[in-house]
Parts: sequence; structure tokens; C-alpha cells
Amino acid sequence: MGRSLSRSPEVPRAPPRPSSAHVVRSAAAARSGGPGPGSVPRPFAYRARTVIALLLAAVLAGCGAAPAADRQEPLRIGAVPDQDPEVLQRLHGTVADSLSEALGVDVEYVPVTDYAAAVSLFRTGDLDLVWFGGLTGVQARLQTPGSVPIAQRDVDADFHSVFVVNEATGLAPSDDLAPLADLRFTYGSETSTSGRLMPAWFLAEQGVDPAGFPGGPGFSGSHDATLALVASGSYQAGVLNEQVFEARKAAGEIPPSVVRYARSPAYSDYHWLLGPDAVERFGDDLPQRLTDHFTGLSADDPADAEVLDLFGAESFVPTEAANYEQIEQIGRDLGLVN
Amino acid sequence: MTAVLSRAAPPGPRLRRNRRRWGWSLAGLALVAWSLAGSGLFPGPVVNPAGSGEVGRFLSAALRPELGAGFLAVVTEATLVTLAYAVLGAGLSVLLGALGAPLVARATWGRRRPGWRATRAALALPRGLHEAVWGLLLVNVLGLDPWVGVLAIAIPYGAITAKVFADLLDEAPRGGHDALLAAGAGRASAVLYGLLPTAAGGLLSYSFYRLECAVRSAVVLGLIGAGGLGYQLALSFSSLRWEQVWTTVYALAALCLAADVAGRAVRRRVAAPPPGGAAYRRDRVLTGAVAAVVALAVWSAWYLALTPAALFSARTAEQLGYVVSAAWPPATDGGLLATVWATALVTIQMSVLGIVFATVGAVALAPFAARPSAPAGAARRAVGVLTRLGLLLLRAVPPPVWALVLLFVLLPGVLPGALAIGVYTMGVLGRLVGEAVEEADRRPSAALRASGASAAGSRLYGTAPTLAGPVLALALYRWEVAIRDTVLVGLLGAGGIGVLLSAETSSFDWAAVTTVLTAIVLLTFLVDLVSDRARAVLR
Repeated sequence: MGRSLSRSPEVPRAPPRPSSAHVVRSAAAARSGGPGPGSVPRPFAYRARTVIALLLAAVLAGCGAAPAADRQEPLRIGAVPDQDPEVLQRLHGTVADSLSEALGVDVEYVPVTDYAAAVSLFRTGDLDLVWFGGLTGVQARLQTPGSVPIAQRDVDADFHSVFVVNEATGLAPSDDLAPLADLRFTYGSETSTSGRLMPAWFLAEQGVDPAGFPGGPGFSGSHDATLALVASGSYQAGVLNEQVFEARKAAGEIPPSVVRYARSPAYSDYHWLLGPDAVERFGDDLPQRLTDHFTGLSADDPADAEVLDLFGAESFVPTEAANYEQIEQIGRDLGLVN
Repeated sequence: MTAVLSRAAPPGPRLRRNRRRWGWSLAGLALVAWSLAGSGLFPGPVVNPAGSGEVGRFLSAALRPELGAGFLAVVTEATLVTLAYAVLGAGLSVLLGALGAPLVARATWGRRRPGWRATRAALALPRGLHEAVWGLLLVNVLGLDPWVGVLAIAIPYGAITAKVFADLLDEAPRGGHDALLAAGAGRASAVLYGLLPTAAGGLLSYSFYRLECAVRSAVVLGLIGAGGLGYQLALSFSSLRWEQVWTTVYALAALCLAADVAGRAVRRRVAAPPPGGAAYRRDRVLTGAVAAVVALAVWSAWYLALTPAALFSARTAEQLGYVVSAAWPPATDGGLLATVWATALVTIQMSVLGIVFATVGAVALAPFAARPSAPAGAARRAVGVLTRLGLLLLRAVPPPVWALVLLFVLLPGVLPGALAIGVYTMGVLGRLVGEAVEEADRRPSAALRASGASAAGSRLYGTAPTLAGPVLALALYRWEVAIRDTVLVGLLGAGGIGVLLSAETSSFDWAAVTTVLTAIVLLTFLVDLVSDRARAVLR
């Protein structure tokens, strides 16, 4: 009850919402997105109490006696799965705590497994603040009028992809992408910026048809799957996020049969995007407060360092929609942005 | 003895070939040959031995699933979520089916055949789309609400249930119903007191069967973000943590097993009620089972915090308006239609190859999967249990996981996707064929043995002919299901219409999504029609 009314501004908030309504709501959201460290399963007794409180509140509300206990819904943050989703869960649990402390509002991490789903959930208002990739950020911003880019990492203004080949191809590292045209080739996720969009663009720039590989390109679904498939030789070549490649290399997890073939030119990638719903609930200064919080994170502060470390960044910097115009244009050319 | 005596005299021996049967068989063979030709098996190599290491890692991880306390806690909670979705989805689909059955029953329409046909065809829309596709669409309207998972199961299942319930009502003995009508009872009372009691057993059996299927569907939904075991599986799968994948698969297998065992017990009880005037007394076991499921449904609604308000909220209406206005009219440009056509053909090839592989595998395993009719030795029983557990695992691993694993050792193309569907379907079909073997008429082969035939001869001429019909019917029935599953796999390599759907949904081209979905619905409707006719002829 109450949850539907609370979301859309044009419906008057006539029945005063019980103070515990948001707890039930977030429990529902956590379940439907699956439990994660950010959404700790609540003990049964607690849940029972919630239900009783809700019933009581409903009865009181019916009598018109309850005061308007207007506690806000939490700020819901989420991320598009790109790197190790487990890390993402840990990452966002930590970020949720750090944000909650800095802003003085309840922050809840909502896990999502799918790029398209994250964009849709941002549009429906189920997610308020999302760590999007370059392309998904553009898709989400175009579908959700009033959303604002908040911040990006220092590395995101200068992001790269790496093309990898199986050693059996005999190709030596080079800047020439043309030899890849005759190989069985896989991208990562379909709307991944670093695993699909920008590599396709750079291939096209060098005269390689990005959809013309023998048998058609594959979409492995994740950077790790791309690595494993190229290692097996089922696909002779592939492309992935450089950051992921370097992280796997540092951990000694790159199979010996995978050769780093080429590094793409630089482009803008990940950023935080804030939805219009949250601005209405938390005030017009929310975007600025968020930007200030992220750019103010300092590697010298142990708590901040933990957040920065999880994101693999030295610092966050402000960003604006104009930084993603190139991505939007390429997305339109490739039919990924409508 | 009475059963034998009361049997109708066998029809006279057929001296001529059944032309229609031959025609359908030849058409079937041609279809398989065409699919094989499209698989790339003939022109070049399809195997990639270098990838066997990764498959080895996948298989060996089965022996050491992740058992850390933290992960087990997560998996336990996820199992409960999956169970809740399955119970609510199946429960709602039975409700929808019961409401819809009178609308599509032949009895309602009587001689007005076009009306009956039209309502049946209308069911093709909800049935034709896979649960995961419904899930994807519903996420766009309802957001993160738990209704997404419940409705994604209930909509397609509800349509299937309505059709089956209608068939059960049509086939139930009508004596009591007609007598009541003749005695002056109203139509509603006649159906309620004359028809429903005779059909009740079948309806109950089928409802429990739906519950078993819903458990597996609830997992596939998790893969698109609806939570539960599938969600955990997707997380572990995309970072290739096979130990964790297997833990989730085992949890799912345990859930499937519990649903199978309970459902089987109920169905057995319905098929063979305990002797001694049971017809006049309420069967305590069945009443208990129904009460337990109802209690489970209430718990599930509470556990998922399901409230009807979300369905009627202003936001839902707003989002529905957004999607509908973006999706209509469908895209009709020539390029898209040509791609739809080409990928639809690939989808048919994949599903045909998958079902052929599954059928061959299921038939080969059937002698081991079936529970022996006579008391058997410990070794035979152990083999039986192992085979059935193996089949359970084959169907507990979702098709997209099979597709990636197979792609490590097969070159991209139709084959990995087809085999992924094949392996998964073999898990389902192996069990069904095993049950068919258990229930098969043993008298022909016994008679052959008694008259001196060899063991092999009695199987070939006694058992095989009695099983051929049911097995073909099961395979054709699963073909309808396989074509829907094919939409899920094949993102890698040349993967059919599912790839196109995924491309259009991820670029949010709703008009094109409508076109592709229409094509998928038509495709499944066509396969349904062909499979229905083929079953009628080959049976």
C-alpha cells in the first residue's frame, strides 16, 4: 500500500503513509533483484513486526488519526554489470554506506544483472543513481528526461579497450586491425561501451565491417567470457575492457594462449547518472551535493580510499552530458541509440 | 482379468501402408536433413578440441561446489525466493486456466467451430512467448516489483493450463452432466455437479505438474534479473565461477526433485486412489497436499511482499503507455523483415536438431532411467538412480549455461545452440520417456518371449512398436517447448531469432521488438499446429 502513490508526483499523497512502508518496499525490491550484501535479508521476527506495524498504521490511517509520517524512500543506487558482478556487489555495498553517511539519507543498493534492465529500471524510477557505462548512460539519459550526469573517474575520460587474439592465429601485436576481419570474433555484452560500441567504431574506422566477421560476431555476455572463449580458440579474437584485462593480468589469470593484440584509442566511459525522481524527493541541490561528495573523496582518507580502490580510481571528477556526444553519435550510427 | 476381457476386439490387420503416416514421416526426415545441412556439420570442422580445458574446469567444479557459509546463506535465501515465485506463478496460472478453460472448451462452442478456433488461436499470443521474454517486457512496465516474476510465469502457463483444462473437460465422461440437464438443472449447476467431479482428478494432476515446471521457469527468470537462484547463477556465471554455479545448480536440482517427488505422489494418488469406497470419502492425502500448497502460496505472497496496488498504480499505467506508444506500429522495413525471416529459419533448424538429439539420447537412456518392473539387483537399481539424477542435473542447468560450455569445444554456429537445447531437453525427455517405459504394455514382448523369441527380438518387435507412438508424441510436444527455449540461447555464434530479439531490446527499438515478437508468436503457433497434426497422424 502507499508505495504506488508515493512515487508519482501528480497523485496527491492523500493517505498518510505509514512510517514502515518503505521497509516493506525495499524488501520487495531486494527480493525481486535478489539479495546481496547491500540488502541484508531481514530476520523473520523483524519482518513480522513490520507487517504488524503496517497493519496497525493502515488501520489508524483509515481512522484519519495518524499524523503524516512522511519519511522518504531511500536513495536507490545500482550498477550495470560489467566487471566481476561479485565485486560490484561489494563495491556498491560500500558506496551505499559511504553515501548514506555523507548525505544523511538512507541509501540502498539494488543489484541488477542485465544492461537493458538497468536502463529500464532507471526509466521507471526504481533506480535513482546508477553507475552506467558510456553507452547505457546515453540510452538511460535519452529515455529519462531530467536526468543528470554526476561524476566520472579520472580514468574514464581516457578509457581504452584491448583487442585480444588466440596465439594459434600467429598474429603479433600491432595497431593494424585489418587482419582481424577474417577471424571468428566475439564482442562482450551487446550494449557494453568498451566491449562492443567503441571497438566496433574503431574497427569500422580502419575499414573492417564490425558485423562482417565470418559467421557473424559473437556476444559473449561478459569480459571474462570473452577471455575464456578466445583462450579456447572457439573465437580466434575478441575485445574487452582494458581495466578488466589489466586486473586479470595482475592476478595472473590471463590464459597463456591469449595474446594482447592492440589497444584502442581513448574515449569517455563510465559515469554516475542521477534520475529526476530523486531530485524531487531530496531537493534541487542533490546533484551538486552528490558531485561534491564524489569529487571530494580523497585517497588519503582510509574510508574514502576503500571506495576509490573498489572503483579502481585515484579520484572522481565532474562530468557533463557533452562528454558523451561522441558515444551518442556512434550509438546512432550503429543503431544502438534511437 | 476383467480388464483384458472387456477390451474391444483388435482392429483387423492393416494390409496397406498408411499413406498419411508415410507422408508425415518423410516430411519429418526431410526437415531433419535440412536442419543438419544448415548446422555446418558437412562442409567443415565443427569441433574445437583446444577448448576442452575450460569444459574440464566446468565439469570438475561439479565435484567441489562452493560451500562457504556466507555463500550457502545467500543460496538458501535465493532458493526460498525461487520457490515463492514458482508457487505464486503456478497458482495464478491454475486460476487463470480455470477461468479461461470454459472460454476455449469445445463444449462451450458446440457447433460454432470458427468461434472455438478463434479463441484457441488467441491463446497463441500468451503461449508463444517464453517466460523470460514476458519477464523482459514486464520489467519495462512494472519495474522491480515482484509481480514481474509472478506474471511472467502465470501468463504463458495460464494459457497452456486453460487449453489443457479445456481438453480435460471435453474428454471427461458427460453422463452425469447430461442427466442433470435432462432432469431440468441449469447449465451452471450441471457443469458444477455433473462435469467437474469427474474431471477433478485430471485437473488436480495437471496443476501439480505445472508447479514442477514453474520451479525451472522461476530460475530462468532470475537470469533476467527477477531474483532468486537464477540471479545468483547469472552473477556467478558471468564471472565464470563454476564452483558457485554448481552450488546453485544443486540447490535448484534439490528444489526440482522435491517438486517432482511431491507432484508424482499426488498424480499417482489421483490415478490410483486407495481401495475401499474412497470415491465417497475425502482423500486425506490429496486434501492435505492442496491445503499445503495454498498455505505455501500465502507464505509466498507475504515473503515477496506482493501487493495488488502495484498493478494499478499511476506509474504502471504511465510506463505501459510509454512502451505501447513506442512499440506501435511495428517496424516493417524490408531489411528487418528479411533478417527476421533468415533468423527464424535458423531457429527452426536449431530446435529440430536439438529435439532429435534429445530424443535419441532419451531413448538410449530410457532402459536405465525406467524403474524396473520386476525386483532387480542392487547394481541395476544403482544405475537407475544415477541415470535419473544425471537427467535431473541436465535439466537443472539452464540452456544458456550449456550454450557457453558447449561453445568452448564447438566452433560458433547453429550446433552449439542446438546441442544446448538438446542436452537440456534430454533431461526433461529422458524422464518422460522413462515413465512411458514404466507404463508401457508388457504383454506383447512377454508373449514373444514365451513363444521362444530372443530377448533382443522381443524388445525389437514387442516393446519398440508399443513405445514408438508415445515417444514420438512426447518428442513433438517438447518441440513446441524447444522452439521457445531456442530464443534464450544462441547469443553466441549464429543463433537465430533470439539474437535479433536481444539486439532490438538492448537498443530499445520497440517498434522492431514488436515485429520480432510477432514473428516469434507466429513461429511457435506454426510449430504448435504442425506438431499437433503430426501427433494425430503418427499416434
